[in-house]
Amino acid sequence: MTSVATVIPVKDGERYLEELLAALAREGVQEVLVIDSGSHDRSLEIARAAGVELLEIAPEQFSHGRTRNLGAERTSGELICFLTQDATPCPGWLAAYLDAFALEQHVGAAYGPHLPRADTSPMIARELTEFFAGFEAQPSGQNGNARAHGPVVQRAGDVSFLSNVNACYARACWEEIRFRDVRYSEDQAFGADMLAAGWTKVYQPAAAVLHAHDYSTAEFMRRYFDEYRGLRQTSGHVEPFAISATARHVLSEVAADRRWMSERDMDAATRMRWTTRSLAHHAGRRVFSAIGSRSERLPNALHRRLSLEGRGAEAANGQPAQGAGEVSPVPATAQIEQKLSGEVYDVVAEVWRDGPAPLSDPVPGMAERERLRLAMVIPPFSRGSGGHNTLFQIFSRLERRGHTCSVWLADYNGYARDVWPAVLREEINEYFAPFKGPVYKGFADWQGADVAIATGWQTVHAMLQLERCRARAYVVNDHEPEFYPASVEQSLAADTYRYDLHCIAASPWLRDQLIERYGASAEAFQLGVDHNTYQPRPVARRPATVVYYARYVTPRRAVPIGLMALAELKRRRPDVRIVLFGANEVLHASFPYEHVTVLSPEQLSWLYSEATVGLCLSLTNFSLMPKEMLACGLPCVELAGISAESIFGTDGPLELASLDPNRLADAMERLLVDRERWERRSREGIEFVASHTWEHATDEVEAGLRHALREREALADTAIR
Amino acid sequence: MSTAETSSERELQAENEILRARVAALESELVEVQARTNAVVAQWQERAYWLDRWHLDLNALMRKPGAAELRGALRAIRSVVRAYKRARRSLSRS
Repeated sequence: MTSVATVIPVKDGERYLEELLAALAREGVQEVLVIDSGSHDRSLEIARAAGVELLEIAPEQFSHGRTRNLGAERTSGELICFLTQDATPCPGWLAAYLDAFALEQHVGAAYGPHLPRADTSPMIARELTEFFAGFEAQPSGQNGNARAHGPVVQRAGDVSFLSNVNACYARACWEEIRFRDVRYSEDQAFGADMLAAGWTKVYQPAAAVLHAHDYSTAEFMRRYFDEYRGLRQTSGHVEPFAISATARHVLSEVAADRRWMSERDMDAATRMRWTTRSLAHHAGRRVFSAIGSRSERLPNALHRRLSLEGRGAEAANGQPAQGAGEVSPVPATAQIEQKLSGEVYDVVAEVWRDGPAPLSDPVPGMAERERLRLAMVIPPFSRGSGGHNTLFQIFSRLERRGHTCSVWLADYNGYARDVWPAVLREEINEYFAPFKGPVYKGFADWQGADVAIATGWQTVHAMLQLERCRARAYVVNDHEPEFYPASVEQSLAADTYRYDLHCIAASPWLRDQLIERYGASAEAFQLGVDHNTYQPRPVARRPATVVYYARYVTPRRAVPIGLMALAELKRRRPDVRIVLFGANEVLHASFPYEHVTVLSPEQLSWLYSEATVGLCLSLTNFSLMPKEMLACGLPCVELAGISAESIFGTDGPLELASLDPNRLADAMERLLVDRERWERRSREGIEFVASHTWEHATDEVEAGLRHALREREALADTAIR
Repeated sequence: MSTAETSSERELQAENEILRARVAALESELVEVQARTNAVVAQWQERAYWLDRWHLDLNALMRKPGAAELRGALRAIRSVVRAYKRARRSLSRS
């Protein structure tokens, strides 16, 4: 005879457990395993008294799929029945299952109906009855072997429904398919998986159990939330929701419940009482089913409150159970839908696959034409972005010189998703410099250009795809691979220097890097200073005051070294006043200091005018800030041996020191102590940056753009010859 | 070099000059057209600032059910108000 095991997951199931175990004994089930996941009631006592095998697991180890797999592993019957703690087998249950598996050779599972208990609410009683009656009426997909009230074989293409409230599995089938490691709806997933694998299943009306959830209306709603959340996780099902359809559905369900009650001769008062519950039940069910299947949009705390099982989002998505060796530590997988398209990496992949778009044929004399069509491709920006300020100071002036200018935002990561083009244009004008041309998001309206200009590594691959360009150029503000640790970003940033783009670099040091490290065609421009803003202000300098650009969120600013240098200076000269600026958050330091947040250019010029020494460090390309300090007559300490010498020389207006806190403290101390040195640096600084204007920077960039066009003409001439 | 060859070269040069002039004219026309296009787009962006700021797409809004009816109702109200104002003006004149 076929051996049968029954597995019953239990938690606080004392109400029906005794009755259930008694029914199993009556049916003659040889092997019964109760898996308790932390009951606080008499469940354990009842199981022990019944003499069945008992396995206790921690509540957090429970999940519907994983725990049932564990139960199947712990038993040995050729058939494995699963029951819930509130499902009591009716007489003839086991024999009916044995009959079902004898119907065909390849039956992998069978399931029976859930009959309402005497005190089950009319809504649930009707629903259960009508639901399972639907399987009886439904003939099997292929051989039409259904007969009234008889078992029905279901195959691939038929309904995949399966319910572990009352189901029985052939061990061979379970071993092949196994329950998915999901927290909910593991039975539905199994039903679909087994049919797809070629197994059949049987609906056996005679293998019935008494079963009903005895919940309040609110508990029902929370259970529906759990069920549909699980269904979404296992099958991707999203419950549709529309107000008018919901209203129609609820009214028809309430009417059906009332008919059901009338057919069972319930009195008018009872009918009225249940009608109110019915209305709340069906309306709430629709709403909470819809919410459950869209639960990924809810915050975790709300998840926990809505879930009857009290599980948050991360638990619902299947966090691994800890502890017992029997439980797989591999977390349940979650299906993630496609959310993004056209990320920067996709664009890179397209360029690597297809190569850059071909350039338009050069036209003789185009490099010397008075008005050029210039299209600048920029990455997303925010207020205070130094690189964008440089770009728009120059582009604004190119526009004023009569060139036809347009701006194109490449925003593959969606940073500016909620900012529409007219707003972008206004922000450029507000944050950086006046710009009268159009601003586009994306390239759907691309019109072609004499020179397409990339302005950051994230813009290069997009720019390379643009057609109808005569030439391409790359305004390089910094050596961007150094912004990243070893990463894809670092590699892609370096990749942008290898497309034969003519680079216009923001310092001679940067130009040399591009030529020497990447073999790029490059020339340099000098960053300009807004001398109307940055000039010595009519304010007395405060003695022994050091101002430090402590922008710690930018690693290339070497803030830890700067703070160590200031700590050393403070140790040597306790009277020194230290002011940190450039970040909104307060930094913890080993010395007392004063803090000002991010300042406007006007405010900065006053700060520089009343300080004694400026400290501004850069581990990559030299930035605008030391020039602005010098323009205000403030001597500045910078790092030696990186990029500053390429602009200021080794003994120029800057006080240079190596990347060493003691040497930096020495440099600051020299300026604080040596009055003559301070005055020389201050005077030389003002004189040095006087010629560094944005007009001059624009001249250099314009020359670079024309150079890019000239290179194209030269190449075409060579090709003709 | 024969006279015929020299003359043919001159003709080619002249033709080249004509073509270069034509290309230059077309180039400046292209720049002019793009400048005008840019100006028009920029002007519309300037006008649409608040619509973009509030994420209002009026075309999409007017395609929604009831939008045309609402607009019709507003026009009807406006015509009633105008008729009332006209009547009041004519009464005050008389």
